Amino acid sequence: MDKFIALTAGGIALGAVLALVALGFLVLYKATGVINFAHGDLITLGAYIGVWTVADLGLPTIPGYVLTIVLMGLIGVLIERVAHAPLRKRPAMVVVIATLAAAIVIRGFISVWQGATPRALDSPVGGGVLRVGGANIAYQRILILIVGAIAVIALLMVFQRTAFGRQVRALAADPETAQLMGVRTKYVAMAAFALSAMLAGLAGLLVAPLGAVELNFGFGLMITAFAAAVLGGFGSLGGVVAGAMVIGIVQQLVGGYVLPEYAATYPAIVLFIVIALRPQGLFDLARSRL
Amino acid sequence: MTPREPAAAQAATTPDNANKTDKTNTSETSENQVLRDPLRAVRPPDYRRHHFLAIAAFVVLVALIAPQAATSRSSQFLVNLWLVYSIAALGFYLVFGLAGRFAFCQTFMMAFGGYTSAWITRGEDGQPFWVGAAAAMLVTALVAGVVGALVRKAQHFYFAIATFAVTQVGMVVFQRADGFTGPHGQAVGIDPPQLFGYEFVKDGQVFWLFLGTLGLCLLLTACIERSPMRREALAARDNGLVAGLSGVAVQRVQLVLFMLGSALGGLAGSLIGHWQGVIGTESFHIDLAIGIFLMLLLGGITSMWGPLIGAAVFVGLPRVLSGIEEYSSIVYGLMLLAVVLLLPNGIAEAVRRFADRVVPDRLMRKGVPFARS
Repeated sequence: MDKFIALTAGGIALGAVLALVALGFLVLYKATGVINFAHGDLITLGAYIGVWTVADLGLPTIPGYVLTIVLMGLIGVLIERVAHAPLRKRPAMVVVIATLAAAIVIRGFISVWQGATPRALDSPVGGGVLRVGGANIAYQRILILIVGAIAVIALLMVFQRTAFGRQVRALAADPETAQLMGVRTKYVAMAAFALSAMLAGLAGLLVAPLGAVELNFGFGLMITAFAAAVLGGFGSLGGVVAGAMVIGIVQQLVGGYVLPEYAATYPAIVLFIVIALRPQGLFDLARSRL
Repeated sequence: MTPREPAAAQAATTPDNANKTDKTNTSETSENQVLRDPLRAVRPPDYRRHHFLAIAAFVVLVALIAPQAATSRSSQFLVNLWLVYSIAALGFYLVFGLAGRFAFCQTFMMAFGGYTSAWITRGEDGQPFWVGAAAAMLVTALVAGVVGALVRKAQHFYFAIATFAVTQVGMVVFQRADGFTGPHGQAVGIDPPQLFGYEFVKDGQVFWLFLGTLGLCLLLTACIERSPMRREALAARDNGLVAGLSGVAVQRVQLVLFMLGSALGGLAGSLIGHWQGVIGTESFHIDLAIGIFLMLLLGGITSMWGPLIGAAVFVGLPRVLSGIEEYSSIVYGLMLLAVVLLLPNGIAEAVRRFADRVVPDRLMRKGVPFARS
């Protein structure tokens, strides 16, 4: 039972992070139609910038984290200017390749800047644990859940209630008509890249204290989050959050009891089965940009 | 234009009949060429590209130049690495360039091929090298067949992600399945390649084996390039619905190319294993997966020579940047970005365009390797 509680808590925390990651690239996908292969490396970069601001610069947690997220937003805008804006008229595949190039550059930058040795980021809530019925739940996981829930709700509010959200939804539904109606694609794209990168940075900051920060830290998260997005139907935000929770809990619970050494492969297996059964994803990609 | 009867063509071009045939003389020069060689007009454009001549020229050139140029151990190593990566990238060209399948599992196929070959040739009663290499190709083709059949309807990103999932599962399984691979996924003590009693031990000897194998792989690719399969694959890639309605077996063509390309990946993995003597999952990490993708995009996705050029850039670039090696991945990324922005179809296409502009049209027809059809 203790193990069950601990694993469930771990699964929910993982699900919250996956939801943040998945929403990060979904925002971008909805606003611009780009699937960003650099998202995983942006997560890694966010974690490293967090380590830099908190551990190296010695800033207190909150300003350090805020600075990290602001920097990530600027990097998102930079990526948009360099790898997206010049390619807007090109086929989607070319833009995807450009994001892959951005991923490689970010990777190279991190390895030059921080070297190959893994870094550690201390948890802002300390290394303590909450005891629930004999199971230990790290405070960091609770923090992840709270911050993740706030971020997801805020994001949903942004999408439903603000002009930016309406414009993104309009672009997702019908780019041509949205432009004819006066949606300024350029600014929406920049804002979407910035928001997406900030969400990636937030996810990186939240996960970093649970383990070591190294070069492939974000890539696995991105793929798992992609599984969550596909599972939840690539379109709806709520579906993606649900998919992220399912994937997180499956990975932790099934992985905890059945063949634990293969736990890392479970999201990949779920993903493969979903794609084999529903080749276009659970919803049609072409129609699901809303 | 319709080809004319050879006899009529001869009559039209003989000076005696010039006064009768004013109209034919004033026609375009291209038509004159057709008249002189009616077969040329009938042959499909792909047949005018002299694939086999180009491959022979390539193999002879590399055989003459590489052993002279690569004298040090490290440069011999790099040449071999280039040849063997070219084989893997050529396989990926079949999958991604022709069939348009965004497969992210070529490194998995390489690793699987390497392990299979190592496993089959292991021990006192192990099979000879060529059986191992053949088994590597067979097994990877079968795996690709199963995977490709299961996700046959998945398009673009879904296919990429599904094949990436295969890679991820495969790499974990390789690390755990000690009986098949070795402790911690490290297969060690693989015998050097041996053919007809000749053992390829040193890098300089392995070079000949790799060059020969690459030559054979190029021949295979050229056969595909010249076959209706290329046309069908391109049609299926560019518009699957229309191709399907026109009678192209879209899924079958894509599956066959995926299997063939993966088999080349398996062959490359097997060669790497026997050459190095060890094989481990870390040599087939995500960096190489992106690297193979890079080779194809840098070199050019529209030509079978693209992957070779791209592999040369990929292998050679760290050497060029020897002082600032740690920046090499930044340089790769920026190069990829520059190529995407400036040369949308890669280096091979750019060379071909340049040649088109510089070399007179008639020379091009006579079989310059990159000649446009």
